[in-house]
Amino acid sequence: MTIILSICVAVTFAVSIYLMTGRELKSIAMGVFLLGHAANLSIIAMSRTPVRHEPQLLKGAPILTEAFDAARPMSSIVDPLPQALILTAIVIGFAVMAFLLSLLVLTSRKAGTLNVEQLAAEAMQGA
Amino acid sequence: MKLENLIILFVAIPMGTGVIGVLLKQRVQIARVLGVLSFLATSALAVGLLVHLRSHPTGILVSQMGAWPAPFGISVVFDSLSGLLLAASSLVALGCYVHSFSTVEPTAEKRYFHALVQLLMFGVNLAFLTGDLFNLFVSFEIMLMASYCLLTFGGTRLQMTQAYKYVLLNLIGSTVFVIGAGLVYGMTGTLNFADLALFVAERQAQGRALPPGFAALSIALLLVFGLKGAIFPLWFWLPDTYYTCNVSIAGLFAGMLTKVGIYAIARTFPMIFAHGGSDAAKIVMPILAISAAFTMFLGVLGAVSHHNIRRILAVHVISQVGYMVFGLALMTQIALAGCLFYMIQHMVVKSCLFLCCGIIERHTGTDDLDRSGGLLRRDWYLALVFFIAAMSLVGLPPLSGFFGKLVIVREGWDTRWWLSIFGLLTGALTLLSMLKIWSYCFWSPQAAAIERTPENLPNRGSLRPAYAGATLLVLVALFLGFGAQPVYEIAFRAGRQLADPDEYIVAVLGPGALDEVAKYRATSAQLAAGRAAEVTP
Repeated sequence: MTIILSICVAVTFAVSIYLMTGRELKSIAMGVFLLGHAANLSIIAMSRTPVRHEPQLLKGAPILTEAFDAARPMSSIVDPLPQALILTAIVIGFAVMAFLLSLLVLTSRKAGTLNVEQLAAEAMQGA
Repeated sequence: MKLENLIILFVAIPMGTGVIGVLLKQRVQIARVLGVLSFLATSALAVGLLVHLRSHPTGILVSQMGAWPAPFGISVVFDSLSGLLLAASSLVALGCYVHSFSTVEPTAEKRYFHALVQLLMFGVNLAFLTGDLFNLFVSFEIMLMASYCLLTFGGTRLQMTQAYKYVLLNLIGSTVFVIGAGLVYGMTGTLNFADLALFVAERQAQGRALPPGFAALSIALLLVFGLKGAIFPLWFWLPDTYYTCNVSIAGLFAGMLTKVGIYAIARTFPMIFAHGGSDAAKIVMPILAISAAFTMFLGVLGAVSHHNIRRILAVHVISQVGYMVFGLALMTQIALAGCLFYMIQHMVVKSCLFLCCGIIERHTGTDDLDRSGGLLRRDWYLALVFFIAAMSLVGLPPLSGFFGKLVIVREGWDTRWWLSIFGLLTGALTLLSMLKIWSYCFWSPQAAAIERTPENLPNRGSLRPAYAGATLLVLVALFLGFGAQPVYEIAFRAGRQLADPDEYIVAVLGPGALDEVAKYRATSAQLAAGRAAEVTP
C-alpha cells in the first residue's frame, strides 16, 4: 500500500510541477492545487501506528472494529492525528482555491489577459 | 481567576471583533471604535502581562485548550518571546489602524476593511502564541488569507497584475509547510514544540543520532519560513507587494508579515531543528550566516538605488531582516535576545516610517523624491517624527536601533567578524538612504514645483488620525530607545529559554517531563568524569 501511495505522490508532484511551468495563470493555479493534493497524499503515506504517544482515548475505551486484537492494541489501529491534519489542510485548501480562482477572474477582467509574460510587461509599464 | 486563562484573549478578541466587523458592514463609525478598542485591549493585556511576569520565576504561561494534557491537545504558550512580540505587534496594529482612517477610501472601508485588519491580527497573534507546528501553519494561513484580501483591496489594474505573484508564492510555501509538518510528525511522532524539543534533548542526552532526514527536513522548513521572512534569496516578492497597496496597510505588512517568518525560525530552530551541535545546526547555521550577509547588504544597496520613498522603505525591510537573521545565525543566548529586540524595534520603527510616507504622499501627491520637497518648512512636526524614526532605523545611540545592532554586532564579533563588518557597513548605507529621503523631501526648497490645486491640498482635519498613528509609534520607538534596559531584561530571558529549552519543556509538558533526560545526562556526566579520572593519572 505504501508503494502505491508513494507512486501516486510522485505522479501528482510531477504533474503539478509540469503545470506550474506553464505560461498561463490558469495552468499555474491548477498546478498549485495539485501540489496541495500531493502534500496531503504524502502525509497519508507517512501515517502509521502511533510512534511516540499512545492516543489518550484508547486507555480503557471500547474499540469498535473486528480486527481489534486485545493482546496487541497498537497494531490494529492507525494514528488518527495525520488524518486530522489532512482534513484541516483540505478545508484551508478549499478556501484558498476559491480565493485564487476569483482573483484570476478579476485579474483577467482588469488586465485582459492571464498570460504571465503579458502581465509582467503590463506591470513594468504601470510602475 | 487564573492568569493562564487570559492569554487566549489575544486570539479571541481580534477574532470576535473581526466577525462582528463583517456584520457591521455599513456602520463604519461603530466598526472603527470597536477596532480601536480591540487593539487597545490586546496591547494593554500584553504590556500588563509582561510587567506582571517580570517577577515570575520562568515567565511562561501555558494554557491547554479544553484541558487536554500537553502533547495531545493544543497548547497556547505565552513566554517572554511571544509576549514582547505580541505587545509590539498590537501597538503597531493600533497605530497603523488609526492611521488608515485618513488614508483608506470610503468605498473600500465599507467592503470589510475593518474585519480584514482584525482577522490579520488574529492570525499574527495566534502565530506568536501557538505551541505546535501545525497550528503555526493554520495561523499562517489565516494571516495570509487576510493579507491577500487587503493586498488586492482597491482592485486597481496595477494591484491585480501584481497580486498573483504574492498569492501563488505563498501558496507553494504553505504546501511545503504542510509536507514539512507531516514529515516532522512521521519522524518524531509529535508536533508540539515542547515535545519536539524534548525529543531532541532525549536523543542528545542518550548520545543517539536524530532520525535520518531530520537535517533535510529542517532545511525545507527553513525555506518556508525564509520565504515568509523575505531572507536572501527568497525576497523577490516583497518590493512589488508593498508598493501597490494602501500605505497604512503597507505599514502593517512591513511590521508584521516578515517578522512572523523570522519568529517561526527563532521559535523552532534554536530549540529543535538546530539545537546544540546537531547535524542540522552544522548545515543551517552557515546557511543563515551567508544569507544574513547577502540580505543585509544587497537589501540596503537596493534601497540606496531606488528613488521613490515607498520603494526605498520596502526594499529596506529586507535589509533589516538581515540583522535579525544575523542574530539567529549566531544562535547564542545574547544574540537571540538581540535578534528579538531588533525585531520589535524594527516593527515599530519601520511601520512608523511607512505612516510618515503616507502623510508625505498626502502633502505632495506623490512618493517620487524628485517631485517633493520643502516639507520641513510646511510641516515641522512630520519632519520631527520622520527624523526620529529614520535615525532609530539607522541606529544613532540614544535611539532604539542602536541597542539592537550593538548587541548583535558585538556578539558576532568573536565568531563571525565578517558578518559584523557587513552589519556596520549596512548601517552606514542605511544612513545614506534615509538622508536621501530627508534631504529631498524635507530640506530641499523645491516646494514651489508642486502644483497646489485644491484637490491635492491636504485637509488638516482628515489627516489628524494619520498624525495620531505616527505619533503613537514614534513614542513607542522612543520608549524602546530610552527604556531599553527593562525591555532587554525580558529579551535576555527569552534568549536564554530559546538556547536552553528546559524551562519551556517543563512549563508546557509538566514538571516530570525532564526526568528521563536528567537520568541520561547524569550517567553521561558520570561517564565523562570517570574517563577524565582515568586520563589524569
